[in-house]
Amino acid sequence: MIMMRMPTDPSSIEPPKWPLKLLRFFLKKEFVEEIEGDMEELFYENVKAESISKAKWRYTLDAIKLLRPSLIRNWKWFSTFNHLPMMQNYFKTSSRSLLRNPLNSFINVFGLAMAIGFCILGYAFARWTIKTDQFHENKNEVYLITYKAQRNNGLQEYGKSPRPLGELLQHDFPQVKRMCRVEDAAVVVKYQDLVFHERVRYTDPSFLEMFTFPMKWGSAASLKDINSIILNEEMSQKYFGESNPIGETILLKFGSSKSKAFKISGVAKKFPDAHTIDFSFLIHFDNIRTLQENYRLDDWSKTVNATFVQVDQAGDIATIQQRMDQYKQAQNKNAEPDWAIAEFGFQPLATLHIQSENIQDDISASSAANYSAIMFQIAIGLVMLILACLNYVNIAIVSAAKRLKEIGVRKTIGATRNVMIVQFLTENVVVTSVALVIGLALGLLFFIPWMESMFHFSMEFSWTDPTLWMYLPAILFFTGILSGIYPAFYISRFEIVTILKGTLQFGKRNPLTRVFLGLQIVLALLLITSAVLFTQNSNYVAGRSWGYNQHQAMYVAVPNYSGFDQLRTAFSQNPNVISVAGAAQHLGKGNVNTIIRLGSRNESVDELAIDAQYLETMGIQLVAGRNFKDQSENDKRSIIINELCAQTLNLSEPIGTSIKIDSVAYDIIGVAKDFHSYSFFEKLKPTIFRLADSSAYRYLAMKIAPGKEREAYQRVQAKWTELYPEVPFSGGYQEDVWGNYYATMNNHAKFWKVIAFMAIVLASLGLYGLITLNVSGRIREFSIRKVMGAGAGSLTYSISKNYILLIAISITVSAPLTYQLMKAMFDFAYSYHIPITFTSVLIGIAILVIVLLATISTQIRKVIKANPVKGLKVE
Amino acid sequence: MKKTKLGEFEELVLLTVAALQEEAYGVEIKRELERRLNETLSVGSIQSALKRMEEKGFLTSAFGEATQVRGGKRKRIYSTTSHAHKVLREMKDIRAGLWNDMPKLAFKLKASIV
Repeated sequence: MIMMRMPTDPSSIEPPKWPLKLLRFFLKKEFVEEIEGDMEELFYENVKAESISKAKWRYTLDAIKLLRPSLIRNWKWFSTFNHLPMMQNYFKTSSRSLLRNPLNSFINVFGLAMAIGFCILGYAFARWTIKTDQFHENKNEVYLITYKAQRNNGLQEYGKSPRPLGELLQHDFPQVKRMCRVEDAAVVVKYQDLVFHERVRYTDPSFLEMFTFPMKWGSAASLKDINSIILNEEMSQKYFGESNPIGETILLKFGSSKSKAFKISGVAKKFPDAHTIDFSFLIHFDNIRTLQENYRLDDWSKTVNATFVQVDQAGDIATIQQRMDQYKQAQNKNAEPDWAIAEFGFQPLATLHIQSENIQDDISASSAANYSAIMFQIAIGLVMLILACLNYVNIAIVSAAKRLKEIGVRKTIGATRNVMIVQFLTENVVVTSVALVIGLALGLLFFIPWMESMFHFSMEFSWTDPTLWMYLPAILFFTGILSGIYPAFYISRFEIVTILKGTLQFGKRNPLTRVFLGLQIVLALLLITSAVLFTQNSNYVAGRSWGYNQHQAMYVAVPNYSGFDQLRTAFSQNPNVISVAGAAQHLGKGNVNTIIRLGSRNESVDELAIDAQYLETMGIQLVAGRNFKDQSENDKRSIIINELCAQTLNLSEPIGTSIKIDSVAYDIIGVAKDFHSYSFFEKLKPTIFRLADSSAYRYLAMKIAPGKEREAYQRVQAKWTELYPEVPFSGGYQEDVWGNYYATMNNHAKFWKVIAFMAIVLASLGLYGLITLNVSGRIREFSIRKVMGAGAGSLTYSISKNYILLIAISITVSAPLTYQLMKAMFDFAYSYHIPITFTSVLIGIAILVIVLLATISTQIRKVIKANPVKGLKVE
Repeated sequence: MKKTKLGEFEELVLLTVAALQEEAYGVEIKRELERRLNETLSVGSIQSALKRMEEKGFLTSAFGEATQVRGGKRKRIYSTTSHAHKVLREMKDIRAGLWNDMPKLAFKLKASIV
């Protein structure tokens, strides 16, 4: 649109409107006419002297300058109206009515407090998870170099990097401020009489500048010395107790032949619990040249565990990323074609813990499980809060029937509807605030310590946390709105005349109270069923087969073939040992990631190199084909695959099929039944076995006669100490290789049982409150019924008919919903779980119905036992 | 009762009101003072001074006639009270006395310095 400059008609010139309004509103009434007149006179004078816009501008400026204390209105009307005494009155009547119905108040306050306590737990946990790794000062400038390689299902990201890359990047790009490589090794650490298996991290000294790990003793810079070693606090305590170990010397044994003494030059402070990268022992990266056999840093076909770079600005990474092609080509030329890099990636440290889930072989742990736990906690917290709020709403509506007179009188003496709403919201705020205080105490003193002790970690959360005090008002507001608005509007709506006449029938007949109660039952059933399922699932996984015989199996980690051979000789004669086998990798103790090729397909599979006795010893069954033959040269080119691998490759007749690993052809000679190497949290993976060179044996596996496991374990340990007095024993029962998986599953069940218990309590408290109010409102009706000869049956019927119907309808609605939701939830949470059937839902329904009926029956009993004369005398 | 004081600006406004007589209303006072002081004043400063002095009893006021240029709004004509005249005269006398004493004061100061 084009604006045209219009010729101005002098009569149309007026002072601007809004400053005038401002004056009229703010200035004292008696001054308005005079000052307005003055302003106008001046305005027209200015219009003649200057331009219109300038005059308007002056007018506005003058108007604003007129707003002075001596000229503006006295805001006394505000204080003469005096809200304070009225609020005091609301507060007093609120607390009186709360104290008059201690049961209802208890239900409300306790219910809300439990829900709020749980919300605080959820908040603390979410905060803890979000803080993961955020303590690193350079978190936005430090990047992990990753690479992606083409796999059948698309590009797969890996957390390792080619060995020469780090040094080249630092040399080629001025933007790279710091660089560090990380390599890990298993070592034996010896200090005086203490000898343990440990993991040591080789790294460049800049590691401690890039990551924020402050020192408790000693200095981070000391890592520059190739003979220095830095410990974490836990290791310092393990070897030296509480004393300062700086200057002490410890011996590290690498493999079977090499060892080196290191001088302790630093001890790191305790790491925050929410971290995904850490270390036990740190030594200079250059040690790798002397201590690891055949470690060549210029080999493009080999990888280093991790390479991190630090840049000055996050933007520099884009520049570097554009010029990574040269390194890709160097790698592609030298590496196996299956491991050719398609592209490089850079993952910032700040978000690495979230991305980790999708990066293979990276040194950072993944926080994905924690994030899904947060989702659960938010859902549970919300459901509980809704349950508690619905209790409040229902009880408020029904108990308003008892306060009709008060409402009527207030309205008669001039309370408007808004005033009534303010009164009821005040009441709500009182209840919610009390609940908030109790809930805070519950959360901080009970829920948070409970979860911490169950899962063995510390959320490092306290009531002084500043964000908590932003979160609490948010809860207060949310709860207040959810629970207070409806009753306030509903109750304030009634006409004075109908209230005082007593013709108003409300509360008891409000259809919404039933909808709310129904909703509560739906939610309660959901939580109860999940508790039932988690408990059932915990029992189920305890009994679920691992796919092999973990109860009779034992394993020992051996340093080399001669160690293996000596142990084997010692135990093959033992009558308790049924069979002995050797392996380079052992079930549950690691595997090699291998790419197999079939035609044009390439699949990433787990590989275990074993001997001919291994499958039998571990109890892995073959579903087709044959086992390896002992010492057979032919079988060096044979593999056994698991069922899942056959499925993934679409092999209907796998036996005899030839596949390629690193361009060497192998024949499939057998198919093994699927088995779980790791816990049921992990999905089964396509797995292959091949025959190991005897020199590669690092594990000895044994099958023990039933009942003799303990004895055999002690014999193995004793034999080990005899053979290797200097090296600690490393081995154990196969049952234990899943670590604390079963404890975790039991904790999940425990956790949900508590949640379900709280849900049942909340729902039945709500029902109890409603029935109590209903019954006490109808006490005369029941008394008359009794006088007229009504028996227990008829009374029971008239009290419970509405509720029974309501419960029946709610359960019918919620059962299929619960079933579907549980299915989705378990599939989301666990890779392997109990099949979800309707039986579990039925158990949930049974528990809920029993509790609800018990609740109703307490009131029925009261009515039946009551004296009708007393009931009729009421009022 | 506490003794009410007159500020410097208030005194100037009060003198202007006294000088303008029947013409003493907001805009005219502002115009007159601006002319004499040779600076721009805001409506707010004049009005607040007028209202304050009215409250202190230096001024009385009454509505005058309405004119077209004011959009039909009446003027408020201010006039000085006898109390104001008394205070103004006192101020003038104090000043005059001080002016009279000034050469002597200056001489004494010089003497003490030397």
